[in-house]
Amino acid sequence: MLAPALRRLSVAELEQSASAVLGAAVDYRDALPPDARQADFSRNIGQSVDSLTLRQLYDATRTASASVTLDRVVFPGCAARAQPSDAACQHETVATLAQLAFRRAPSEAELTRLLALFNTGAEGGTFRDGVQLVLRALLGSPQLLYESTLGDGPPQAGAVRLSQSELASALSYGISGTPPDAELLAAAAAGELTSGSERQKQATRLLGRAETLQLLQRFVEEWLGLEQLPQLAKASSVVSGFPALSRAMQQETRSFVGDALGSGGGDLTTLFAGGYSLVPDELAPIYGIQPVAAGTRVSLRGVSRVGLLQQSSFLSVFAHESESAPVLRGKAVLVRVLCRSVPQPQELGINVVPPAPDPQSTTRARFERHVSDPLCATCHSQLDPVGFTFENFDAIGRLRATDMGQAVDTHGSISLDGASLELADSVALADAIAHSEELRSCAARQVVRFASGRSDPAAEAAFVEETAHLPASWRGTLLGLFLSYVNSDGFAWRSAP
Amino acid sequence: MSRSPAVSRRFALTALGAGAAWALGLSEQRPVRAASSGPRNFIGIYMPHGMARELWVPKPGFDISYTDSVLSPFDDAVGFGQSFREQITTLEGLDLSTGMAAGTVGHDGSRVLLTGSGGNGRNASIDQFLALEQGLGQGLPLSSLVLGVGAAGPALGTCISYAKGGSALPKIIDPEQTFQQCFAQWLVGNDPAALAQAAAERKRGKSLLDYWRVEIAALAARAPESERDKLEQHANALRELEQRLDGGLAACTPPTAPDPSQFPSLQAYQGGEPYFDTVTNLQIDLLAQAMACGVTRVATLFLSDLTRTHFDPQLPEDVHIDVAHRYDSKGRAGGGGNPSTWQALGRQNRYTYSKIARLMQRLSERDLLRDSVIVAMSDMGDPARHSSRQIPTLLAGGWGGLLKGGRHIDLGATGTPNNRLLVSIQQAFGVNSDSFGQSSDPSLLSGSLDLT
Repeated sequence: MLAPALRRLSVAELEQSASAVLGAAVDYRDALPPDARQADFSRNIGQSVDSLTLRQLYDATRTASASVTLDRVVFPGCAARAQPSDAACQHETVATLAQLAFRRAPSEAELTRLLALFNTGAEGGTFRDGVQLVLRALLGSPQLLYESTLGDGPPQAGAVRLSQSELASALSYGISGTPPDAELLAAAAAGELTSGSERQKQATRLLGRAETLQLLQRFVEEWLGLEQLPQLAKASSVVSGFPALSRAMQQETRSFVGDALGSGGGDLTTLFAGGYSLVPDELAPIYGIQPVAAGTRVSLRGVSRVGLLQQSSFLSVFAHESESAPVLRGKAVLVRVLCRSVPQPQELGINVVPPAPDPQSTTRARFERHVSDPLCATCHSQLDPVGFTFENFDAIGRLRATDMGQAVDTHGSISLDGASLELADSVALADAIAHSEELRSCAARQVVRFASGRSDPAAEAAFVEETAHLPASWRGTLLGLFLSYVNSDGFAWRSAP
Repeated sequence: MSRSPAVSRRFALTALGAGAAWALGLSEQRPVRAASSGPRNFIGIYMPHGMARELWVPKPGFDISYTDSVLSPFDDAVGFGQSFREQITTLEGLDLSTGMAAGTVGHDGSRVLLTGSGGNGRNASIDQFLALEQGLGQGLPLSSLVLGVGAAGPALGTCISYAKGGSALPKIIDPEQTFQQCFAQWLVGNDPAALAQAAAERKRGKSLLDYWRVEIAALAARAPESERDKLEQHANALRELEQRLDGGLAACTPPTAPDPSQFPSLQAYQGGEPYFDTVTNLQIDLLAQAMACGVTRVATLFLSDLTRTHFDPQLPEDVHIDVAHRYDSKGRAGGGGNPSTWQALGRQNRYTYSKIARLMQRLSERDLLRDSVIVAMSDMGDPARHSSRQIPTLLAGGWGGLLKGGRHIDLGATGTPNNRLLVSIQQAFGVNSDSFGQSSDPSLLSGSLDLT
């Protein structure tokens, strides 16, 4: 069972939360330090409010509050014309804003303190001056900055249940990346979120939101490591203008994930072996196809691309600047997609000296040296045969028939669901993975890591066990897994402190 | 990006916050010992890509000016105003042992440098430990300054500063932001309207701080022990913010605000590389001036490499792959290796050291070098092997008279945990403890080095 925690929201969640309070979009991306990662995910309990972040947040929230206008829909109707001494309008305004910021109704004591701040701000000024200071207090409030999953009430068998408002926040941030909306807060206030099926109903309602799509796209990107794309460089000998190309790669993967979510709930078989994609014009030459109209599915099985693993985003991230990287690709498949653990060579006391480029030798031939060294072979006999299946793709995922003038060899192997499989190429690999149990349990683990913001093997195993009893259409789709997790006891309970 | 306000010749910076115990009472800062002796400032520096050992080890008599010596910038009076040969000590033989025990190795080794802990460690790095837990940053506008070049994100492999609790701290990579954080907030114009506005903002800021403190205290009362470090860090950040808002004046010579047109791009992989040399120089100059102005006494700097900077035409475009990965050492035992690869890596190493020489020059000009502890380390020894052993370490500055410079200390090939250096640093600052860091193997944590 997960331990109680305070999770500082990610930058994207802070933007959404501030936007909800201000009633207008807020952009923190250049104003705040980037997210710290844990278990690859940007929403995690390792994030904190350090001194630099707080100073920058202080400045950013002052700027965001300075441009506020009281005719926005978040403000009560009285606010636009109220005198600073209008006690009733003060109370109504402050209570409204505090509820948006705290994601629950504020207590009278909290309102009293906020009203005191209002009066400090409005002293010698306007009603808007008072509102501004209250907004600054709320946007920098620990109650906004942290998602609390501490639980409340008496412990039962060593566990505590999250409070209704905690459940509402965990559900909303975990499904749509936004603070709870009015309907969810009302359900919390009515005590309805104790019920797993009610939580699932609320989560299902949120699926239609654009923010939910963005969050699930981010989940896939962070799961597979694709968010590293903007930080990639490729050698000029491979390609020029990679930054523009990498944006197209990101766009392809987002469109594809969006399409798969929309049409089949993010079916894992489709994501990894659907046989099609939505290819931006910039990538058409790389994929060897004619440009197609935006948003149109195009079959790519004939050009050796069946899913996420053959998209140029994945193939570029897991490659070196000037050449393919069978070890990185193999490791990404085993660790990220199948949740296996692979030790680093240094942990085993093995010295790593990557083979130098050799015009007489293919990448595969150079890396095959691994298996001739028994110590290296311990891991590389698993990693390399997976990575080699991608050898028909170069450093940016462009199809190639030869490497260093010699024909590429894409055959490989993998042990999957307990069976040893010989593979002709990465299409065979993807087809096998897409239908495997291991992919389904790993996806379930990743959903728990993403939603809970940590890597907790016991909690992950408990959810994997629960999903084993679900219908295939639930455990085999991203939406099914997210909705099931929201419904689960692991979502709603924490270990008693 | 907002432009800095013009800097008046005589400007004021806020110092000396109220110093009152903060609402939570989680931890009281302890004053460092009376500063009549010993060091006053700490600067930790990350250098990329290990070391061309063949060109790093000084020749007999601490000769660091032989042909192709990596250390030659420290004996270059023409380039850096004076020779710093007697203010540096090279230290060979440290291993990132706690990292190796925890699997935090290779590119993740930077996690271990100043923490003496692997990726699961929860102790603060030595800089944050001194600044916050030992009070070196007490009463100053910034308890510490965490700077970098090219990569701001707090990722495991790109950070050397860690908060108590174990989270990596973000870095400032924009010199204009460094200036803003260190100086601009304390600029006071002469215009009465601006002064009144500043006073009103100070009052509003104080009321906000009071409000947030009560909320943190309420949260801390409910939070389990595991979350206390996070809230304590937050409370420390509030206290520093208060010091920024407070009155109290201290005069010093103002630096010039950086001109952002000199660095139109800052991020690695997004076109920032050609400006990294300029950015590095500005960060170093601002850091030295921040210390001279009493803004902070603790800093770390995460340096970048020369990849894609086109700064040294004799190096390939991709220094990481084509230089560091291709380094072919002859090793400690000698024999073998490829000298041309030593030369290439040596150029990268010498460039890095030239930046540290620049920092020493700037500190020396401000009479701060003698009382500064400077430690520069890479995350790897032999970079081609991604080795966490034999980490090349440079100790510089006078350490307040505690470091005997002008020599090479060889701890041997068997490997000494870098924790011992961290113990020596804390002891130099008067911390009476024989252990630093965390590990499943406690024997790695204790003991110190004889640096006198």
